[in-house]
Amino acid sequence: MTGRPKIDLAAVRSRHPHHFGRMDRAQITAAAVAAAALALLIYGMGELGFFGGTFLAGLRRLGEILGLMLPPDPGNWAHVRIFVMALLETVAIALLGTLSAAVLAVPLALLAARNVTTARLVRFLSRRSLDTIRSVDILVWALIWINVVGLGPFAGALAIMTSDIGSFGKLFSEAIEAADRRPVEGIVSTGGGRILGVRFGILPEVFPVLASQILYYFESNTRSATIIGIVGAGGIGLHLAEAIRTLELPQVSFIILLILAAVAAIDFVSSQLRFAMIGPRAGTAT
Amino acid sequence: MLRLDGVVKKFGDKRAVDAVSLVVPAGQLVGIIGRSGAGKSTLLRMINRLNDPSEGSIRYGDIDITALRGRALREWRARCAMIFQQFNLAGRLDVLTNVMMGRAFHAPLARSLFNIWTDDEKALGLSALEGLEMARLAGQRADTLSGGQQQRVAIARALVQEPELILADEPIASLDPRNTQVVMDALQHINRHLGITVICNLHSLDIARNYCDRLVGLANGRVVFDGVPSQLTDRVARDLYGLESDDVVGPDARPDYTPAEARPGLALAGS
Amino acid sequence: MTSPIVQLPQAQLRPLLAAYEATVRSRRWHSVMIAACVVAAIALSSISAEVAPMRLFENIGRFTSYIVRLFYLESGAPVWTDPAEWYWGLPRWLRLLGETLLMAYVGTLLGAAGAFGLCFLAAANVAPSRWLRIAVRRFCELCRTVPGLVFALIFVIAFGLGPMAGVLAVAIHTLGALGKLFAEVVENIDMKPVEGISSTGAAWHVAMRFGALPQTMSNFVSYALLRFEINVRESAVLGFVGAGGIGQDLIEAIRKFYYSDVSAILVLILLTVAVIDMLTARVRHRLIGLGENHR
Ligand SMILES: Nc1ncnc2c1ncn2[C@@H]1O[C@H](COP(=O)(O)OP(=O)(O)OP(=O)(O)O)[C@@H](O)[C@H]1O
Ligand SMILES: [Mg+2]
Repeated sequence: MTGRPKIDLAAVRSRHPHHFGRMDRAQITAAAVAAAALALLIYGMGELGFFGGTFLAGLRRLGEILGLMLPPDPGNWAHVRIFVMALLETVAIALLGTLSAAVLAVPLALLAARNVTTARLVRFLSRRSLDTIRSVDILVWALIWINVVGLGPFAGALAIMTSDIGSFGKLFSEAIEAADRRPVEGIVSTGGGRILGVRFGILPEVFPVLASQILYYFESNTRSATIIGIVGAGGIGLHLAEAIRTLELPQVSFIILLILAAVAAIDFVSSQLRFAMIGPRAGTAT
Repeated sequence: MLRLDGVVKKFGDKRAVDAVSLVVPAGQLVGIIGRSGAGKSTLLRMINRLNDPSEGSIRYGDIDITALRGRALREWRARCAMIFQQFNLAGRLDVLTNVMMGRAFHAPLARSLFNIWTDDEKALGLSALEGLEMARLAGQRADTLSGGQQQRVAIARALVQEPELILADEPIASLDPRNTQVVMDALQHINRHLGITVICNLHSLDIARNYCDRLVGLANGRVVFDGVPSQLTDRVARDLYGLESDDVVGPDARPDYTPAEARPGLALAGS
Repeated sequence: MTSPIVQLPQAQLRPLLAAYEATVRSRRWHSVMIAACVVAAIALSSISAEVAPMRLFENIGRFTSYIVRLFYLESGAPVWTDPAEWYWGLPRWLRLLGETLLMAYVGTLLGAAGAFGLCFLAAANVAPSRWLRIAVRRFCELCRTVPGLVFALIFVIAFGLGPMAGVLAVAIHTLGALGKLFAEVVENIDMKPVEGISSTGAAWHVAMRFGALPQTMSNFVSYALLRFEINVRESAVLGFVGAGGIGQDLIEAIRKFYYSDVSAILVLILLTVAVIDMLTARVRHRLIGLGENHR
């Protein structure tokens, strides 16, 4: 092998200056943004007390806590019974909240959909109110409903319902707006009127999409339902918070395992149902 | 008698239909021809009032179509059925329910909203479907049908409206030659034997020549030709399409269409 | 006028009608079965969740009066007549709101960094080992399924009351959620560049750095921003369990029935969330636009 032919560096450099020159503008911007983000991160961590001794001490304590959580242990069978019942209650809360929200959200979604409601003001107002409902956290709704119907799972179901009306209203109105307008035109052209156009032209077509969104939310609401118990609105969250406060750590991990199992089961069932309804993939995007 | 006077439709600055005046006597089969974007669909949609004209007036007998509102408008739509290029059926509903939409104006809302139809209405729908050889598929979902079958469902929907006027917007544009013939024969039958006025947008000159009593050529929203098919010389066609006449006749000329009269009648009820 | 339709004779019509009714009936039977299942589930759930329609009906007035009272000051005047009184605690709330945003920011970034490290191990197309991939996936699932608030409760015990517990709860939850999304991004990349680099004999991490990473960066940032929006909302309630941020003042106001404070804080949060959503949406659109230009 003879040595590599000599490269005329200057010539290459003059022909491809952008490979040799310094960073271009986009790269400089990206670097600046990254540096600023990092600086803010470090400032924030300092501000929130990460660089004091508390963080390391906390980590050590966390390690101890995790050690104490294993193995998961409910304590006794009476506890198992209580926890399983509470878990079923959680699922019930999620189911009722999701379904009632879906029923109430349909008319609101129709009011907010461009291809159904022509009055701009109505559309605007319904959209804004849906946004507002959605932005208030579910825990706040839970606390408000506790004031109305008292502590317990009923308040939890109502909280999930209220907060989901906002989400469903938005999702459903998007699904309705994405619906094909031709069937509606076909019905309107016969003299059927707008109501029948919506009833026969839009609703049957969007139904599977709505159903799959409802199933998807049922699953995610099961997770939400576990936390509303923390403020007293029923379900397993109450027992979880109680076990954490009283440092019954093996119970904590047992309850967490229960929740994981329940969520996985519901995930499985709902994705099977979704699959049966509209085939794979569709509807997973929200 | 349908009378259009100086009808204009503007989309923004674009005049999609520009000062069209036409008189269509009852019982005619009128073909509207013109290149894509000439304003054919917009014209038909204005007659059904799916689009509102920007200027001009459309009258039917002594009704001012452009002034109709609410129930009167829906009544007009019930009298003037529309057939679409893309069929415009509700895909997830079954065939007969789609056909029943043609009765929607006549049935009380409280009933139709719950998809309840009387036996008489169903009998009418099934008879219309049978005339188009579709009654066996009455229970099937519309989106499981072939294009030709879907268009026949759409025609059945138009028929159960018992209309005085049928507006067909390129009813054959997405169909194969065989289905094209079935659909055009059906329209011709409806026109010849039942005396219903048919206005039909067509892309294919050959079909327009074969089936229509009268052709109206649109270019850039204006009427540039109005006469019987024999008056449509190659020169006029060239002007209409802005193409060599060979190109115009080209692809559509391949399936050899026998004159309508020479063909055996379609298995339509009453034929 | 004459009908365009010639009615079929009854003899011909009856079998057609019967056939139609039969198909409709079988389909309807299907729907009825599903509806029955749903109704049964609702009934069982109603018992379990102690649903009491009468209680709701009797007390529904309390719900509306609660909402109305949110907009009245202690003095009985509507809040908008005296904004200074309504927002008497503004400096403190703004500081807490700032803390909330900082918690969300730090939590998102730490979580995203963790997810970034894990996603290449969890993506089916590039993962170096099958078992490692499954382990990483399970870990992400755990982090994502356990609600952030539960992590916060545990961290409050370990790290004490305050924002640090909140940050870590946000970070863990973000790690789980983004770990999954990032891995999906990596699974959707074009493998040719990675194979090209591996074929030169480069190590795994080099192939990732120059083959996989450039294709994924804009999606990563876009997902992280989306998560930041969610985390801002989440951080706002972490204070409910003592994990820092504006939530602690909010729950105190709710518990002690300081109605106008509740509305003041809620409005502040809603505005902040709306502004953040708007800003991140704008950045995300630009990022997606950039990504498309580069492809
Ligand atoms: N809803 C609308 N908004 C804006 N412009 C429109 C709309 N509908 C039609 N147009 C425009 O009006 C013109 C005429 O359209 P039209 O659909 O009537 O044409 P056409 O003759 O039916 O064409 P084709 O043979 O392709 O169906 C076109 O330039 C079209 O872009
Ligand atoms: Mg057209």
